[in-house]
Amino acid sequence: MDILIYGTVNSVTFALIALGFTLVYGVSRIPNFAHGSIYVLVGFLTYTFINDLNINYLLAVFISLIISSIIGLIIYRFILIRLRGLAASEIIASFAVGLIILEGLRLQGIGGFKGFIGPFYMLPTFIEGKISILGVFVNYQRLIIIGIGVVTILGMSIFTHYTKLGLSLRAIAQDEHAAMMLGVNSDRTAMISMAIGSALAGLAAVTILPLGNITPEMGYKVLIYALAICIIGGLGSWWGAVFASFLLGFSMKISTALFGAMWESVVLVGGIIFILLVKPSGLLGKQKEFEERV
Amino acid sequence: MMPVLEAKDMMVFYENAIAINNVSLGCHRGRITGIFGANSAGKSTLMYTISGIILDVKKKEKMRGGERITVLGKLIYEGKNIIYMEPSMRAREGIILCPERRRIFNESSVMENLRIGGILATRDQAKKTLDRVFTMFPALKNLKRREGGFLSGGEQQMLAISRALMAQPKVLLLDEPLLGLSPAIEEVLTDAIVEINREMGITILISEQYARSILPIIHYGYVLENGGAVLEGNSQELMDNPDVKSAYFGI
Repeated sequence: MDILIYGTVNSVTFALIALGFTLVYGVSRIPNFAHGSIYVLVGFLTYTFINDLNINYLLAVFISLIISSIIGLIIYRFILIRLRGLAASEIIASFAVGLIILEGLRLQGIGGFKGFIGPFYMLPTFIEGKISILGVFVNYQRLIIIGIGVVTILGMSIFTHYTKLGLSLRAIAQDEHAAMMLGVNSDRTAMISMAIGSALAGLAAVTILPLGNITPEMGYKVLIYALAICIIGGLGSWWGAVFASFLLGFSMKISTALFGAMWESVVLVGGIIFILLVKPSGLLGKQKEFEERV
Repeated sequence: MMPVLEAKDMMVFYENAIAINNVSLGCHRGRITGIFGANSAGKSTLMYTISGIILDVKKKEKMRGGERITVLGKLIYEGKNIIYMEPSMRAREGIILCPERRRIFNESSVMENLRIGGILATRDQAKKTLDRVFTMFPALKNLKRREGGFLSGGEQQMLAISRALMAQPKVLLLDEPLLGLSPAIEEVLTDAIVEINREMGITILISEQYARSILPIIHYGYVLENGGAVLEGNSQELMDNPDVKSAYFGI
C-alpha cells in the first residue's frame, strides 16, 4: 500500500517534471537543457516574491509562472532561433543558458545579493497537514501533486488535440513543411511551445518544491530526470513520457523499499542504458534520430 | 486579363546548379493551369518556390552551412511581389500547396489532419468545407478515426487534397497528385480536381509527369525541361503538339 501510494506520487512528480521537456522537444526538436534551471529559478522567484516582497502566495505563483514563460520565449527568440536544426549546438546553447541561471543564483556579492546557498529556502505548502489513506499517512501537498499532475496531463492532451494552437503544435511536430503549407508559422509555434514548456516547468516547481528545500543543485537533478523519462518513453512522445514516468516512479520506489535508497539512481541510469540497448527509440517513440542527438 | 498568380523570370539555383531557368508563367483566375515535365525538370522546385517553402529550406541550409540556394525573379500575386514572403503568410493570403508524396500527418487521425488543415478557416468555413470534402470523397467518411499513416496511397492523396481545401485556398497548388496511383483512383481524383475548379471556383496550378489524364482537363499548360519552360499552349494545342504526343502519349 505504501508503495502504491507513494509510487503514484513519485510517478506524477516525474510526469510533471518531464512534460514540459517533452512538449518542447516534440514540437521543435529542441532538447531544452535549460529545463531544470527554469524549474529552480521559478522556485526561487516564488520564494522571493513571498518572503521579500510579501506578495500573496497564489499571486506570487501566478507571476512566477508568467515570468518563466517569458524566459522561455526569450531563450528561443534570442538564442535558439539561430540554431534550429543543429542538434549539438542546441544542446550546448541551452545547457549554457541553464548553467548561467543556476550558477547565477549562487553568485554572491553583486548589488548586495547574497546568493541562494544552503538549505534555508522553502516554499509553503498549499494546505498544511496530512491524511490517512488506507493506513498510510500522506501529506495534502502530495495529493495536490497528483491532482495537478492529472489535470495538467489531461488538460494538455485536450489542448493539443482540440484547439487551433494545439493543433498547430502537433502539425509542426510531425511535418514542419507540410504544416507551413497550411499556414502554420514555424518559429512562432516553436516559441509558444518554449513558453508553454517553461510554464510547465514552473508549474512542476511550485507544486513539488514545497515538499523540500530549494537549492540550485536541484536543477541538474531535474534535468536528468526529465532526460531519463524522455529517453525511456521515447523522445517527443507525449504518452510515452507519462508511461515512462509511472514506470520509473514505481520501479524507483520498489527498489528503495527492497534494497535501500542508494539504488534509486542505479535504477534510473540502468533504465536509460537498458532502453538504449534494447529499443533505442524509446518505449513509445517513433523516431530514431535521437540516437545522434543525445 | 491579368493573371492572379504570375512568375516573372524566376530562377532558382542550388549552389551553381540551375534548377529553375528563367521561367515565366501565369495562372488565370478560375482556370486550371498545368505544368508538365519529366523527373528533375524542376516541377517540385517550382511548386516550392511558389509556396515559399524553398525560403525555409534555404534558411535551414544556410544555418547548417550546407547548399547555397538562390532565388531570383518576381512572383506576382494579386498585384504584389511575394517572392520573399514567408510561406505561412502566403498560405494566409490563399496560396495553398498540396505537396508531392502527400506529406500526411501520420500520427494524426483523418479527422485531425482535416482539422489541422482548417487552422486558417473560420468555424463556418471549416464546417462547410468538411461537408463538401466528404461528399467529394465518400471513401474518407468511413475512415475518420483511422491514423493518417495507415491509409492507402489513394486515400492519402484524397486526404491531402481535402486538407489543402480546408485551408480555404484561392490558388491551389497540386504537386503530382496522381503519382503512383491506380487508374481507378486517378479517375476519382481528376473528377475531383475538375469539381474543385468548376464548382468551388478555385484557381488550380497542377504539376504532373503523367500528362495523359491531366492534359484534357487543363485550360492552359506549360512543359518544363531542365528547369526551363520550353513549350506552352492551351489543352488542345499541347495535345496536338508532335513532341508532346511522342513523349506523353507514345504516338
